[in-house]
Amino acid sequence: MARKTILQVLGLVLGLGMLMACGLVSPEASFAATHPEGLGAGKPVCSECHTNDVSKGAMKPYASFDHTPAFVQDHRFQANQDVNTCGSCHAQSFCVDCHGGKVPMKPAIKLSESPERMAPHRGDFLTLHKIEGKLDPSSCYTCHGRANNDKCRACHR
Amino acid sequence: MKRHTYVALLATLMSASAWGQEVSLYGTTMAQMWKEATPGSDKATFTPATQYLGIDATKLGSDNLSLHLFGWGRADLSDASSFDGSKSGGYLNYGYLQYRFNQANAEIKAGRFTVNQSTGFEQVDGVAVRTDLRGGFTFSAFGGKPVLYRTVDPTSQTDYDFQRDLIFGTRLAWRSGRVTEIGVSYLQDGTKAAKDLTIPSATDYTRKQLGADITITPTSTFDFRGRTVLDLANHPALAAGATEPSKIAEHDYTATVKLGSQVAVSGNYAERNFFAYFAGTNLPSLFRQDEKDQFKGWGGKVTWLTTTSFQMTADYRHMHRETFGDANRAGGDLRWDFNEKAVLLGVGAHWVNAVDAKFVDPAAPYRSLSHREARVWTSVTKGRFTGSLDGIFQRFDSGNPYLAGLHSVYEMVGSLGFQASTNMKVSGDISYGSNPVAKHETRGLLKAEYRFGTAKKGGK
Repeated sequence: MARKTILQVLGLVLGLGMLMACGLVSPEASFAATHPEGLGAGKPVCSECHTNDVSKGAMKPYASFDHTPAFVQDHRFQANQDVNTCGSCHAQSFCVDCHGGKVPMKPAIKLSESPERMAPHRGDFLTLHKIEGKLDPSSCYTCHGRANNDKCRACHR
Repeated sequence: MKRHTYVALLATLMSASAWGQEVSLYGTTMAQMWKEATPGSDKATFTPATQYLGIDATKLGSDNLSLHLFGWGRADLSDASSFDGSKSGGYLNYGYLQYRFNQANAEIKAGRFTVNQSTGFEQVDGVAVRTDLRGGFTFSAFGGKPVLYRTVDPTSQTDYDFQRDLIFGTRLAWRSGRVTEIGVSYLQDGTKAAKDLTIPSATDYTRKQLGADITITPTSTFDFRGRTVLDLANHPALAAGATEPSKIAEHDYTATVKLGSQVAVSGNYAERNFFAYFAGTNLPSLFRQDEKDQFKGWGGKVTWLTTTSFQMTADYRHMHRETFGDANRAGGDLRWDFNEKAVLLGVGAHWVNAVDAKFVDPAAPYRSLSHREARVWTSVTKGRFTGSLDGIFQRFDSGNPYLAGLHSVYEMVGSLGFQASTNMKVSGDISYGSNPVAKHETRGLLKAEYRFGTAKKGGK
């Protein structure tokens, strides 16, 4: 009997919680699932077409997403906060080229015919990693610290 | 994830894709070849064949429901190319159903997916939700079983699998005046501490992290963003007299200022305390918490984007590692595009000066971390044909113990491609280089990329 009462109270609380949560949800329409216009070759400069004036409705200046060299290198912040914006042009498979958890080859080999793209570990990184790892091991950890590291484990046991 | 679970998940998701009104299937087939002849060892020939395959199926009964799958498989046609000696392998990178609501950017995902909304970048078999709330708030949460990777040995693997039983996280953010976003996030990975093992272990594979992130973009010419991550885990007591390590895992902040329409200047500061930052690694012998080391780095980048298809970037970074000392990296890149990006050309050079490194290892001279790097590349598209050349050259200071007597290493990659149809491209690469492992190294690669279907997005 007591168990039934607890379940009823729990159900009531959950129901009320759901109702309150629904009332809290923003009434605004969702961001476009896919970019409505086709984009040209190369890295897009969003602010060439989009308004940067936040007073005219942009949630953030589109210039924040211009694919400059600094953006390509530091895109983690935008991906962390605005993954929907990334998703309007990129499928997740684009991210998996580098951030796959477990990948069969380094990105520089997979993307070898695209030298214009930033691909980690171009050239003989096996040699260079002994130096880069000593200068800043936290830069290795970002991708290799908690992923599948078959190659790392061969030496670092 | 067990093999039969993979099969069941794939069968379910792939049959679900048949309902989709818009389905894209895309893949890349790659065949590589190289030979190794190391003195004192048997000659070996490697010919791994790798297949990447992705499916995006949208409008599964409803305009809002979609399915996304991506994975790869590899088979060695001659000697085993994997370090563990296996001649085949494969992995499901992600496979999830997603429902996107028309309102509030709300969505629900279920299956295997990647989340980066909290303090980490996690692969999860579970459920994730997000929505915008009234008043400028945004809420997201995920939970499930963490995707488990391999660690160094069977004993560690047992401990690792036992401890990482559950992962969940959440982020609550607030946007103010459309110029500021402040987020607070929490991540817990594993609920069983190392001390709960049958044979208590010193290595804790679990994590508890609290993160705070911020973005300030008052105008289109200024952008400031970054995050701080705190380690909340209850670590084993330290030895008497030991210094308490910092609970701050990471500070990482970047500011960008645009000067006119062509010049952007960005500066970054990062600080990472290894005891807190490396918590939860599956390679504790490499990412060592017990070193209680710290990294601090700051630097900047100037980018000049001209209207005449020329781009110039100059960058500098100062790195300080508590136990190793200081190093400086500086350099620049030039990039041109001609004929509406049909021809691209890039040149870059970087210097790393580690003269002030205090200690490398007992056998190494002080300057052995300094080096220089140069890169030249070009790519050309003409009709259905594409071609590219990429050369990278690195020169190291004398006395570097990692180079087997060499002073420099280099690698050249040449690629030719043919766009057979809108949906298919074939290409071939050949690379040649010299490095401490192989004085002469030649590798070949054949690639076929294809994409079929009607969905608007996929693969890019």
